[in-house]
Amino acid sequence: MKDLKHLIYFENLLQDAHNELVSKAVEQGLHPLGYNCYYIPEVLLNLPGCFSSRLRAPRCNSTDVANYYMTTRNCPYVRAILERAIEGGYNYLEALFGAEGCAAMERMEEHFFLINPVKNEKFFTTIIDPPMKGDKTSLDYYKAQLKLKVLEPLRDRLGVDISDEAIRKAVEQSNEIYRIITEIGNFRKADNPVITGYEFHVIQLVSQVCPHSLIKPYLEETLEELRTRQPEPKFPFRARVALVGSEVDDPEFTKLIENCGAMVVADRYCFGSFPSREVIEIQEGESAFDAVCRHYLHWSQCARFMSGDKIEQRHKEVERLVKEFKADGVIYENMKFCEFWSYEKVLASHVFTNELNIPCCTIEKEYSLGAVGQLRTRFQAFIEALEIKNIQGGR
Amino acid sequence: MKKILNILLKLVGKLIVIGFITFVATFALYMFNGENKLIYYVVRPLLNKHYDAQVRDRRIV
Amino acid sequence: MKITDKLISAIDKKLERFDPLWQAEHGVGGQRDRYYDKTGVAKWREWRGVKDTFYDYTQWLYNLYSMVLMVGSAPVACLKGFWEYRWMGSYLGTFMFIDRLFEGFRGYELRTAHMNMHAIVQSLTKKIALVLANDKRLGGGPLSDNMVPMDEVLPPLFMTGFKDLIPIPLQTLPEFIICDIDQHIEPYYIDVAESFGLPADVCSRCSAETGVAIDDAFPIIGKAFLTTNMPCNASEATSMFQRRRLGLPDMPVTMAMIHNEPGAHPYSTQVLRDAIAFIEKEYGVKYDWDALFERAKHMNEQNTIELEKWDIFKTPHSALCGIAETLYRLYSWASVNGQEDYFTENDRKVIKIMRKAYEERYRPFKGKTRHRAFLWGPSAVYYTDFPTWIQNCWGINIVLNMDSTMGHNMIDTEDPEKAIEDLALFSEKGVMRHHAVGGWENVNALWEWAKNFDCDMVIFNDNVACKGMNGVHALMEEQARDLGFHFIFLEHDLEDARTVSRRDMRKIVNNYMTVVLNEEPLDPTLVDFDDSLAF
Repeated sequence: MKDLKHLIYFENLLQDAHNELVSKAVEQGLHPLGYNCYYIPEVLLNLPGCFSSRLRAPRCNSTDVANYYMTTRNCPYVRAILERAIEGGYNYLEALFGAEGCAAMERMEEHFFLINPVKNEKFFTTIIDPPMKGDKTSLDYYKAQLKLKVLEPLRDRLGVDISDEAIRKAVEQSNEIYRIITEIGNFRKADNPVITGYEFHVIQLVSQVCPHSLIKPYLEETLEELRTRQPEPKFPFRARVALVGSEVDDPEFTKLIENCGAMVVADRYCFGSFPSREVIEIQEGESAFDAVCRHYLHWSQCARFMSGDKIEQRHKEVERLVKEFKADGVIYENMKFCEFWSYEKVLASHVFTNELNIPCCTIEKEYSLGAVGQLRTRFQAFIEALEIKNIQGGR
Repeated sequence: MKKILNILLKLVGKLIVIGFITFVATFALYMFNGENKLIYYVVRPLLNKHYDAQVRDRRIV
Repeated sequence: MKITDKLISAIDKKLERFDPLWQAEHGVGGQRDRYYDKTGVAKWREWRGVKDTFYDYTQWLYNLYSMVLMVGSAPVACLKGFWEYRWMGSYLGTFMFIDRLFEGFRGYELRTAHMNMHAIVQSLTKKIALVLANDKRLGGGPLSDNMVPMDEVLPPLFMTGFKDLIPIPLQTLPEFIICDIDQHIEPYYIDVAESFGLPADVCSRCSAETGVAIDDAFPIIGKAFLTTNMPCNASEATSMFQRRRLGLPDMPVTMAMIHNEPGAHPYSTQVLRDAIAFIEKEYGVKYDWDALFERAKHMNEQNTIELEKWDIFKTPHSALCGIAETLYRLYSWASVNGQEDYFTENDRKVIKIMRKAYEERYRPFKGKTRHRAFLWGPSAVYYTDFPTWIQNCWGINIVLNMDSTMGHNMIDTEDPEKAIEDLALFSEKGVMRHHAVGGWENVNALWEWAKNFDCDMVIFNDNVACKGMNGVHALMEEQARDLGFHFIFLEHDLEDARTVSRRDMRKIVNNYMTVVLNEEPLDPTLVDFDDSLAF
């Protein structure tokens, strides 16, 4: 396939949290607002005058100082973020909206106000206590937390308009991005897609780490380009897989899988498009804020949800993606030291393999892709098994 | 009356003797850690053998 | 001096060379000389002098009596239980466990220790008999469907409003308390969980619970299951396996994690209301607030006494020390939680002794305490007698343990609305929860506690798999230095003694005491020994 016009530009944008477009938005006077977890609705950080910046730590080679604060026995993602903060990589931020998504995440976010790594006089941190069920009590709590820890600080500390009208506008603008990404992502459903999993991963990531207003023209152009892009004469991969699990913000990981021979056709992980790029619908008589909260609580697939319906939703959603995107199997990953996904991986592997009849390969990964020999061997073996299964007609 | 008293005295005597023997036996068992030695060296190894031989319904349901 | 006292005194003098404390003091032996190597089996029990040895003996009989009662009350079920459940076999180590806990205890501290311990033994034995006699796997019983299995870290006090139902902390028997007794039992269940792909770096307590579920070793009781998000991430995650294995309708009682904020309590209150409604629906019963109030009064009295105990702990004259305090508070709060009169009565008796000892300006452990330490963070369950060892070896008295600070707010006993709000606050401050998770202020409260209890030392339990506590490492160490506390990070793996053994834990303390503080042990036989094969 012909290279995508903006792919290299996108890749470059992913080399640094404080990238070219972020700088431009800061120069324009927009408020840069950081977040880590899906529990913080991206749309609320894109209220008029603000832009969201989902925190990554690209090119992170060492987490020595973060190890001192959090030990080497903690999630490598949170250590990398803390390290990058201490290095000064997030000095552009005016706020971090944290979520007690897990204990490690919370501790990391606490360091943002305990040791003040972000050198920006406006900077502040709040941490919400997100719910673990999808019922009404949980929704009410979620709303209260987001109001108290996100909306009100935005209004009181940064003077942001948090009216219903402003939220509606943010929803509208965010939905435009979501529609573009969804449409790009849907190309992966084709038997011989015009986009690779790696390319999509890059596109999805830039949509999360760059100011929406500035990245949108590039995304629109890319979508147009894809509409007319010619696929390879023959599907160049040996199998199709859905990548499922915890945090993945390095497109090189997707590239690793694809280099082993399987196209990543669906991305159901933190930083992936499932969930995050579903269009937010505001129902009749509903406030925009209520719609946002309902939407995020419904779509969140976090492994910390404990109620039976949400646990089942996690598995059913993967089953849906496997069917819609014609995946031959699932690669289920979790970040090392992640309590939630370590457990969920064991359960999901059982459910997929034994109850839903979906082949599943489980792996554990570090944040930075270093020695990948073992992972490559695992992926190759899995892809070979999928291939054999396909040759044998699915048996 | 005297007969009853004798019987009672005998009974009390017997109880004292039984009590004393019980005390000596249980105190010796206690002091020499008898029950723990029995449990550690005899009972638990036997039980463990049984547990190790069990066929458990081990699965994720 | 009475003649009997004279006689006892003469015998004590004659036999003092058998007393390990005397031996250690005179450089001719110590506590560890009584043991067979590695096994933790003592050749003979500790000679504590006539009075204390006799008291210890009577308490041994008393505990034996409780166990006989347990088997006698449900002989077939108990035998079946021993046959069916590996964890039941571990309860045979109870006597050895009690001996370990109270090694070196004399006088008042021995009395309060045994009183507290017997409260646990009599309660636990009854509970085991009750559960086994109604375990559907073993044939069931008349109360099978009146039982409500619930997560052990969910305080059951709010359940007492269902006067005909019996809340059972499900994991306590096969996982938590049994790990106190036998360090080798949970690794078996952990291995089961890991054989299904669970990584070894998750919290071993939850890994063990998962293993029990996969191994099908939970008793089968009740009609619905209450799980909870407390205390932490792994605990939340393991419930996914348990709910599937139990196959009962379940409700996760998800209390606010960041619970030290006003916004959290209305939510937690509503969650408790939801839980009550769930039980009403599943069991077809009505909640009775008066029944709750009745038990809440007991809990309030126990907490009132607890607060008085704390005042005495702040002095060097406490008759209740170390593990005798910690284990009792843990069991009486987390498992009993106001449900049993025995604990209120026991508290009344213990506080009397404590008051008397304070008036006499009594110093426990023959006044040999050198340091007063606050034990922070969840402790190693497989090394329950660690506070005993550290006192006997180095003269470090564990004044209070983090978990002892659990919910001590009073519950309103008249107004249901107020009561449920109080219960929410009370429940949020649960075991391994109150100060371990849910916000920096909770964990950082350590220094205030340590200062208030006149401690010069902080021992910070460093559960190698606890992500929340790992996340505050440097900040804790830096503060200890700034505030002038002696500070030891005590590595352990909560329920897996293979990762960090008891001996490894001792070594950490030994190194600090010799290298940093340049101190000599009180009992050199306790410094380094092998108890790897002990229960």
